[in-house]
Amino acid sequence: MYRRLFLLFTMMAVLAACGRGHNGAYEVVFSMDGAANPESANTKDEADHKPYRIALVPKGVEIPYFKFAAEGAQEAAGDYGDEVIFAGPKTAGAEEQIRVIEDLIEQDVDLIAVSANDPDKLVPVLLKAKRQGIKVITWDADTLPAAREFFVNMVEPETLGRHLMDTMALAMGEKGEFAVMTGSLSAANLNEWLKWIRIQQEEFYPNMKLVEVVPTNDDVAKAEELGRRLLAEYPHLGGVLGNSSVGPPGAAKAVREAGKAGQVKVVGLSNPNLMKEYLKDDSAQIATLWSPKKLGYLTIALAHRYLSGEKPRDGQQIDKAGSIRVNGDMVIMGEPLDFTKDNVDQYDF
Amino acid sequence: MIFKRSLPVRFRDFRLSSKLIVTYLLLTVIPLSLLGYISYAQYARSVEEQIGEYMPKFLYQANADIGKHMNELARLSELLFNSDGSLAILRREKYASRSDVNRDEYNFNGFLTRTYVNAGNPDILGVFVFSKGRMYRSVKTDFRERDWEDTLRRFGEKAEAAAEPRILLPKDMDVHYGNGIPYVFLLEPLFDVDNRKVLGSMLIAVNLSFIDEILHNFETDERADLWVTDRDGYIVYHTDRSRIGQPDLRKPDYPVHNGSFRSMEDGVSRLVSVNESGELGWTLAHSIPAKALTERTDLVRNVTVLVFIVIVLITSIIAIYFSWSVTRPLKKLSSLMKTVERGNFEVDLKVGSGDEVGTLGRSFNSMIGTIRELIRKNYQIEIRQKEAELYALQSQINPHFMYNTLETIGMAVEEGERESVVEMVTLLGRMLRFSVSNQSPSVTIGEEVQHVRDYLTIQKFRFEDRLTFEVVQELDAREYHALYTPKFILQPVVENAIKHGLERRKTLEIHISVGREFGARSGKTDLVLRVRDNGPGIPEEKLAQMETMLRGAGFEGRSSQFGLSNVNARIVMMHGPEYGMQIHSIEDIGTEVTIRIPVMHTPEETEQGERGSRHGDDPDADRG
Repeated sequence: MYRRLFLLFTMMAVLAACGRGHNGAYEVVFSMDGAANPESANTKDEADHKPYRIALVPKGVEIPYFKFAAEGAQEAAGDYGDEVIFAGPKTAGAEEQIRVIEDLIEQDVDLIAVSANDPDKLVPVLLKAKRQGIKVITWDADTLPAAREFFVNMVEPETLGRHLMDTMALAMGEKGEFAVMTGSLSAANLNEWLKWIRIQQEEFYPNMKLVEVVPTNDDVAKAEELGRRLLAEYPHLGGVLGNSSVGPPGAAKAVREAGKAGQVKVVGLSNPNLMKEYLKDDSAQIATLWSPKKLGYLTIALAHRYLSGEKPRDGQQIDKAGSIRVNGDMVIMGEPLDFTKDNVDQYDF
Repeated sequence: MIFKRSLPVRFRDFRLSSKLIVTYLLLTVIPLSLLGYISYAQYARSVEEQIGEYMPKFLYQANADIGKHMNELARLSELLFNSDGSLAILRREKYASRSDVNRDEYNFNGFLTRTYVNAGNPDILGVFVFSKGRMYRSVKTDFRERDWEDTLRRFGEKAEAAAEPRILLPKDMDVHYGNGIPYVFLLEPLFDVDNRKVLGSMLIAVNLSFIDEILHNFETDERADLWVTDRDGYIVYHTDRSRIGQPDLRKPDYPVHNGSFRSMEDGVSRLVSVNESGELGWTLAHSIPAKALTERTDLVRNVTVLVFIVIVLITSIIAIYFSWSVTRPLKKLSSLMKTVERGNFEVDLKVGSGDEVGTLGRSFNSMIGTIRELIRKNYQIEIRQKEAELYALQSQINPHFMYNTLETIGMAVEEGERESVVEMVTLLGRMLRFSVSNQSPSVTIGEEVQHVRDYLTIQKFRFEDRLTFEVVQELDAREYHALYTPKFILQPVVENAIKHGLERRKTLEIHISVGREFGARSGKTDLVLRVRDNGPGIPEEKLAQMETMLRGAGFEGRSSQFGLSNVNARIVMMHGPEYGMQIHSIEDIGTEVTIRIPVMHTPEETEQGERGSRHGDDPDADRG
């Protein structure tokens, strides 16, 4: 009897004790620590991943634009602790590029980021890389979607193409003949821009006439030569539009040499550093580009994230590269920049 | 309490009422109170747990909002990059003239004012841009310090190279706002993504009052504290403004980063919920006294307790009444049993209920009834036996009398007195017949008186003039032969009177009367037979002794008083103690014996009503 009662009172005492917290000590009521916030899970604990080996394949290693891109890529490699292999053909050619990629497959890199000289020809070798377990992305110039995971583009092709046409029209007063100097005729990005250049001209500028589209194959010497040829061939030529970074400097040089500065307007995609002197003496009017450094940096940053299992998201904020837009499997870095004699000094690429 | 260690009473030895009450307590009050207590405790716990579970989620949300807001504020630095003019100023390396410098400064400060301070963003107290040793600024609120510009300029020289965005607390800075608002500084590096160069840094002074709005959505208790600490445990925001800037000393001990826990602070149990945001590393904490949580439930608790007490009271009353209603008849029963134990069988338990106790009572009643009956039977058998014995003794004709009578007859024969002889023999014969014939213990008064008359007549033959007697009859003739009386009640008295009277006196007069009188003891009209003599009387001690003997109702063989006590005993036996014999006597004057019997119209009637047929009466029991 007493034992039972004793038990009963003990039970009550225990229960009563349960109601109160233990003095001084903390008693956890509820914890979410296990399922912590996702963003706290991946705060840059870069220390515990082995450095990725990422290959950045440009259209041509000699092209200044790609050199700057490589600079940005190296910066990112430093920031993320990865190894970036910058390898590509001397000038824009698909076969060269295929060889380079074959070589990279041999080296068994983790990821190949390629700026494709030809959207179709590269597909087999890229698929081969994919079979080897190497991730493939494209940047600057795309391939067929099947060959890669996503494409890091710098600008919206429509925006850029129409804008390039607008700068040409602005420089020429919306009338006259003009020619386009593109890179390689097979480069997907260049052809896309060219398409929009044509559309914009047909839509808005009936008094302008595109007389010829010539490929420079991203060769500087060839670009100058083409510039001279165009000036000679079309005496009424009012402007040259460069569709790839090698074009405008070549054209501007030819214009300057011909003493037609200000008479034949030169606009187009090119680096401010290449165009600085021509812009200042009116051999060229407007250059348009984006920061290739930024593009290189962004490519590596996204490649690194992708290797860590994170795909690019629309509106994602990338440290030191701003926010990106994502449209399907295409990443868009931002808006194009226009360089004139007034602001060209602000840029260093 | 019933459980006293000093008195190890075994439960089974308790009183039944105690057992019932204890049982009731064990079965109702204790389980009910336990249940109530446990359920309330559980309820309070579950409220706490609910809050504890909900609060971190809310805090997570609020913290996310704060983080989002801070991010938005931090990203304000990017607005710079949308302004080509401002960007050009920052990218500019060298100036040709002072006016250029001042123009740029004017333009840039204007840009800052337009973009940040006047842009309708209430959270910005001021913006400072440090670049290439230059400082641009726009302030909404001035610092307390006079020389804050120089201080900031010095700070800017160090901060310019900052590569990582940082949050600076007021303690980290040498300038302060003096109006008690919570604020922090966001230091954002200005990175030129196109040129991949650091242009400088921007310092945004942020008013943290927006946290009030975020937390305001959540209806907080007055007694609740909400505060934000940074990674190092410094309080950057607190609902109690005076705490801002101090370190939160408890933070390192917190058992969880995201969740809730109970903690004791200054003897008050508090429920603390925390959430640590991954981005800022800020911890948002909420602390509320546990009492405040259960406040709403306290009313419920009090009502419950009240209802519980009322129920316990009511059920206690019911239980006590019930136990009482069970034990009361039992107590009564036991006290009756004690009475019975003491030998009083004249008890009757009033039984009302039909339950087991009632059944017990009825059983008891019937048992007592049976016992009574048995006793009565035995008693009566005994009485009968006694009666038979007495009767037998009574109906014997005294051998002396026989002898004397026969001697008298003999003498009369010798003297040739034929008539006397015939009469005496006739009388003796009649007397003998009276003695032996009628088996009934009752006879009519007429017969009884006749018998005494016969006896006295025979004695008169013997004592001649020494004895005189008369019989006075006050009843009418019909009653005389219709009323009954026990047999042999007069003769022993008369015999006694003669015996004692003629021993000491020359002559003796005997006066017998029969009549009706009201009896004070019986409360009815009774028959009274009186026998009076003028004999020597009885001495007082002797009289007292006789009285005692009569009341004692015992009888000891054929003593001298046997006849009298026998008569008395039989009457008392038959008719109860209110009837019987009384003796009045005065020495040297005489004695009067009064016999009082009820009026009986049948020979069988007695006060007790029922008289079985006589048995054990041997007709040959007469000795003589």
